[in-house]
Amino acid sequence: MMRIIEPGLRSTVQDHGRREHMRLGIPPSGPADPFAFRAANALVDNDDDAAAIEVIGLPFSFTFDDRRVIAVTGRDASLTIRGRLPAWTSIFVRAGETVTLRGSARTRYAYVAVSGGVATPPMLGSRAAYLPAGIGRTLRAGETLPLGTSASGAHRAARTVEAPVYDGQVRVIGGPHTERFTPDVLARFYDATFHVDETSDRQGTRLVGPPIVPRAGELLSCGVIEGAIQVPRGGAPIVLLADHQTTGGYPVIATVIEADLGKVAQAVPGEALRFYRAGRREALDALRADLRALDGLRPTA
Amino acid sequence: MVELGETFDEAAVARARAIADAWERLGHGPALPAYVSVVLQFDPHRVSPEDAERDAGDAIARADSAPSKVTGRLIEVPTQYDGPDLAETAEHSKISVDELVRLHSGREYTAYFLGFLSAFAYLGRLDPRIVAPRLARPRERVPAGSVAIADGQSGIYPLTSPGGWRIIGHTDLVVFDPAAPDPALIHAGDRVRFVRR
Repeated sequence: MMRIIEPGLRSTVQDHGRREHMRLGIPPSGPADPFAFRAANALVDNDDDAAAIEVIGLPFSFTFDDRRVIAVTGRDASLTIRGRLPAWTSIFVRAGETVTLRGSARTRYAYVAVSGGVATPPMLGSRAAYLPAGIGRTLRAGETLPLGTSASGAHRAARTVEAPVYDGQVRVIGGPHTERFTPDVLARFYDATFHVDETSDRQGTRLVGPPIVPRAGELLSCGVIEGAIQVPRGGAPIVLLADHQTTGGYPVIATVIEADLGKVAQAVPGEALRFYRAGRREALDALRADLRALDGLRPTA
Repeated sequence: MVELGETFDEAAVARARAIADAWERLGHGPALPAYVSVVLQFDPHRVSPEDAERDAGDAIARADSAPSKVTGRLIEVPTQYDGPDLAETAEHSKISVDELVRLHSGREYTAYFLGFLSAFAYLGRLDPRIVAPRLARPRERVPAGSVAIADGQSGIYPLTSPGGWRIIGHTDLVVFDPAAPDPALIHAGDRVRFVRR
């Protein structure tokens, strides 16, 4: 059992998402920063589909009634138990110890994975909260969360994953609606430095920058995925994140590669993002490199 | 993404749905059908893009050779025509409110696909005598259960949310219930009839 002492602002339980219901218009949800989430689970020997906590807004602190291995990940994250400890590291926690997350002004999303996983009841096949539809809810001070059986122990502590560099340099694959933009506008998109708008949230990162205006003409709504960069007629692009709508009527100028989604999600209002063309090969290699970094953590048979 | 053309009709929407069904039967991942396109998702750790591309081609061929025969259920939606945009939309269409209600409730709609909000079904088509462009200024808060029209289609807001469609009435039916085994009242391919209350 995990007891939440300080809940942050809008912290939720998340797992890898509920993609099986996207056809019913239900967003996938899941973590806004998929690599940070996956790394946290891997560090505590959980399966990839285990649920963990996405923390939005500090302070966030908690305690357990038994011993657990935990990992905290996220941008500029760290933690304190008796003293300061690093994030992106598996840490053994004894019953009754208070764990407090630390961060900086740039810590938009932090993750806490616990060995055994958070075992709240699933809804529609997933434990991921989707607040706009009343699926799950924000964590509250004093509440307790059930946990699964821990397959980890003190001997599994002190393993680390190298934290990604959240540098705002984002790789994308062009399209699928490249032909909806003139060559001039496409060139401007790849030359521009965009800034993150303060209305950005788990649904999408909204960008401010030079106008990226699509050609005239209507586009019939089509399915959209995480990372799609939609461009409404006003010319301010939106990068779709975990809580995105499943269909959209705006042309998609490019799609962020999976490995770089966290760079977009973690950017705080006012921070700069730039987009670079990548090929399918590069996108896959980047993703495989991420997975290899985590596979090394698992116990070898 | 598979694109099937620029303009849609019932046949194109049904084809998109059939391709999505064929893809989902392969077990690679979910598909998102819409008017004239289908997004096919797969996990590149489990299926290589080359294999996914080949399987997508097969799914399209299979869907085209055996078009979906499923006609879906008929769902009746008891509707009170009391929406804030009813009178203005009737005026805009140069018909009476009563005529608008008669035209809206007097036909069977097909659920093309779900999107925009959880369990929001795009229902086509509206009688062309009803002229209902989207609102120039979307509302910040449209209550759940609002029956709305826009751009030749109708829909029911499953959740209270922002929205730019014209609200002509409301229903007490629960359109989206995440705790139910089947969370969506209307599925793509179902037929829908609004019944005046």
